Amino acid sequence: MTATLDRPTDLAPAKKSKVGSTLLAVLAWIVGIGFFFPILWMVLTAFKQEADAYTSPPKIVFSPTLDQFKEVFNAGVGPYLLNSVFATVVSTIFVLLLATPAAFAVSLRPVKKVQDVLFFFISTKMLPVVAAIVPIYVVVNNIGMLDNIWTLIILYTAMNLPIAVWMMRSFFQEVPKELLEAASMDGASLWRSLREVVLPVISPGMAATALICVIFAWNEFFFAVNLTAAQAATVPVFLVGFITSEGLYFAKLCAAATMAALPVVIAGWIAQNKLVQGLSFGAVK
Amino acid sequence: MAEVVFDQASRVYTAGAKPAVNRLDLEIEDGEFVVLVGPSGSGKSTALRMLAGLEEIDGGQIRIGGKNMVGVPSRDRDIAMVFQNYALYPNKTVGENMAFPLKMRGVDKEERATKVRAAADVLGLTDYLDRKPRALSGGQRQRVAMGRAIVREPQVFLMDEPLSNLDAKMRVSTRTEIAAMQRRLGVTTVYVTHDQVEAMTMGDRVALLKDGQLQQFATPADLYDKPANAFVAGFIGSPAMNLFTLPVSGEGVTIGSSELALPRSLRSRISSAGLSRVLLGIRPEQWSVGSSSSADGSGSGVKAQVDVVEELGSDAYLYAHLDDSEATPVVVRTSGRSGSRRGDHIVLTPTSEELHLFDPESGERV
Amino acid sequence: MTTTLERPTEIVPRQPGNSGREGWIRRAPLLPALVFTIIVTQLPFLFTLYYSTQSWNLVRPGSRQFVGLENYARVFTDSAFRGVALNTVLLTLGAVLIAMVLGLLFALLLDRSFFGRGFIRTLLITPFLITPVAAALLWKTVLFDPTYGLLNFVLSPFGVGRTDWISSFPLTSVMIALVWQWTPFMMLLILAGLQSQPHDVLEAARMDGATGWGVFREVTLPHLRRFIELGIVLGAIYLVNTFDAIYMMTQGGPGTASANLPFYIYQRAFLGFDIGQSAAMGVVVVVATIIVSTFALRLIFKSFSGGEDV
Repeated sequence: MTATLDRPTDLAPAKKSKVGSTLLAVLAWIVGIGFFFPILWMVLTAFKQEADAYTSPPKIVFSPTLDQFKEVFNAGVGPYLLNSVFATVVSTIFVLLLATPAAFAVSLRPVKKVQDVLFFFISTKMLPVVAAIVPIYVVVNNIGMLDNIWTLIILYTAMNLPIAVWMMRSFFQEVPKELLEAASMDGASLWRSLREVVLPVISPGMAATALICVIFAWNEFFFAVNLTAAQAATVPVFLVGFITSEGLYFAKLCAAATMAALPVVIAGWIAQNKLVQGLSFGAVK
Repeated sequence: MAEVVFDQASRVYTAGAKPAVNRLDLEIEDGEFVVLVGPSGSGKSTALRMLAGLEEIDGGQIRIGGKNMVGVPSRDRDIAMVFQNYALYPNKTVGENMAFPLKMRGVDKEERATKVRAAADVLGLTDYLDRKPRALSGGQRQRVAMGRAIVREPQVFLMDEPLSNLDAKMRVSTRTEIAAMQRRLGVTTVYVTHDQVEAMTMGDRVALLKDGQLQQFATPADLYDKPANAFVAGFIGSPAMNLFTLPVSGEGVTIGSSELALPRSLRSRISSAGLSRVLLGIRPEQWSVGSSSSADGSGSGVKAQVDVVEELGSDAYLYAHLDDSEATPVVVRTSGRSGSRRGDHIVLTPTSEELHLFDPESGERV
Repeated sequence: MTTTLERPTEIVPRQPGNSGREGWIRRAPLLPALVFTIIVTQLPFLFTLYYSTQSWNLVRPGSRQFVGLENYARVFTDSAFRGVALNTVLLTLGAVLIAMVLGLLFALLLDRSFFGRGFIRTLLITPFLITPVAAALLWKTVLFDPTYGLLNFVLSPFGVGRTDWISSFPLTSVMIALVWQWTPFMMLLILAGLQSQPHDVLEAARMDGATGWGVFREVTLPHLRRFIELGIVLGAIYLVNTFDAIYMMTQGGPGTASANLPFYIYQRAFLGFDIGQSAAMGVVVVVATIIVSTFALRLIFKSFSGGEDV
């Protein structure tokens, strides 16, 4: 075989794979947009007048309006939003306060039987929530905590704690042990070295953990719908009430759904790299 | 400034298991630079970490300046340590890293700044004081770790393989700098390495460990010239000493088909130890090389055949095998451009009277 | 203990602690989280066990009495319960497996550099982030609505008329919505797996003459195995608890045709006010979950504890 004959055969596969990878890129775009399209449509519909929302074939060109969002606010979404924000923020703070020391105890300075402890934490996520809802309801009812935002806060804290412990553990494990050793050589007490040396290193991880907890707490529906009513209900509960009272008003529903989903979608976009780490209990780095 | 004493110091990880450090006895003088060296798993790092307070002392004592350190936390031992991966605080600047130990000891801000500046000056870090560690090169990070140790003016410096993350060239220059700085500061230093070249070039004295057991604690020259046992003999020196287990014969020992005559002093040592076989150690540079044609019949040399020639410029190493039934490998150091080639038949004759003899059973020096 | 007293043979580890005071100092940071979790997540199960032996309906006050295992007998003879259990299995497995296959394909598409890759990835993960209640609402109205839904519009050229998806195929409709929500998670997980593949191994395989498909089957797929298993188990853990989608889209109907166990138990407890009966169902579900999950967990505990093998 001569060099001149070799040339074209060398080039051909490269060219072919270039075409192939362009096709695959186009496919990826189609899949991505296709998957996202329902959400896009929801957001578009939220900016329509009801009349524009109810058309067949669906209307793509329309004059955008904020009327639907105004209506959602008039329907009283405000207190629900406040409840959601309060339950989400406070439960997330509680989770971090409980999970950070616990994760420290199972990573940097491990206690005995670490595996058992960690196993216990995931196993609580394995058990179906529904099996606990009856006694929770009964107890909460007996102590007069129904329709109380603190009930949700406690339950959301418990719900997110296992994930947070596992996730924080995986962040602690990335801290070199030598940092703590160096700090203790340098004369720092354990508390001081945690505060001054370890905490700054794990704080991005804490932020990621917090975002995951926020996502879950914000989206939670089961406890909220069963344990709250007018006083402590959160945004998902509002959405349900909204659909039943308003019937099928597409544009208004879409506006409400967009508002309910927006905070978490933004949080998730920010934390997308950490999302899997949280959901897999830290098993995937 | 203080002397450091390991007095039967021991570390056991699990009851009943072999101790990681077994009854270590070392008396390190004030201002001395001592290197702990040994293969991996020898317990050298564990010994250092016991001194640092990062590992428990399960038996015996470690004393710094006469004070027993059992149960004393690291932060109260007045020691500073340079870690293998430097363990710099990633969120603090170089200056803050170096000031941290002073801050923890309640030194006021102005004095901290002065001391850090002085140390940075010595280490050539003045321009980097406001940078974070990740913006530094490996060598610079190593210096920051050194700086964090020296600003404190501790009683003892501990260094755990501080050069192993540097490239070869940097390692050689930093080696010299650390040794020079230690001598200038006069702070007692314990330095751990697996590299016998570092051990030999840096230490006032070297402690060689194996399997948690101290093998020999001596000056580099003594370690080289009078290894206490066959392990020390084989570990120190590069290429390693040639060790042959040989039957004792009338004038010396039998090696392959020929007899190797030994000087009278060595022969008397063998006979007073009552050995019929002996472990003979000959360093690569203790051979002279002749061509096989010039030596045939004389019987005073050992016949060998060259397998590989490594030309290093100033020297050359010949890797050969003896003309015996096992084809025992042998290493010979000759002057550069020796002219030997692969396949050459050579005759080796020991040049020195200072050959090393060990008991083949215990490995102890005879 | 002093040196002179110590016998020369045995050195015992002076372990700092996992016992005594030092041990408690180490454990202390763990305790609040542990105690809190036990109280909030474990105690209720004990109550559930107790309630399951009671005949107790909230709408009939004073009717409460001990009935032994009668509630359990009723659970096992309840044909609706069996149907609902089957629905739960179908819904969970179907959604998990389809989401996994799609997620794997999408991850492979995204595991190459192309223009706008980060943007497409962001678009693709969004369904996962949408509040499940809002997502279910979106599917029920904007997509599945027989008259104005996008799905019928898109399918109309293919002769699909005004299908009422949710009434005709309730369970499938719910499953589609769940697959849409969970595919992104599987994709992210597999993508993490793909990106953790050491490049030198791939290069070595190519040097050894493996083709693209060969590399995928012989090197990539075995590497992904751990991630696929993890995705299936985690997806199942979350999806077995599906409540929002059913509540919003079908209310379990028609009848119990699209109800799963969480929804059915919820109905019994909060619409039927039958505490004893729903507690017994809860116990049955927990026992079944424990059996399945210990089996599943044994399979993948390696991944959870962060084993570096594979």
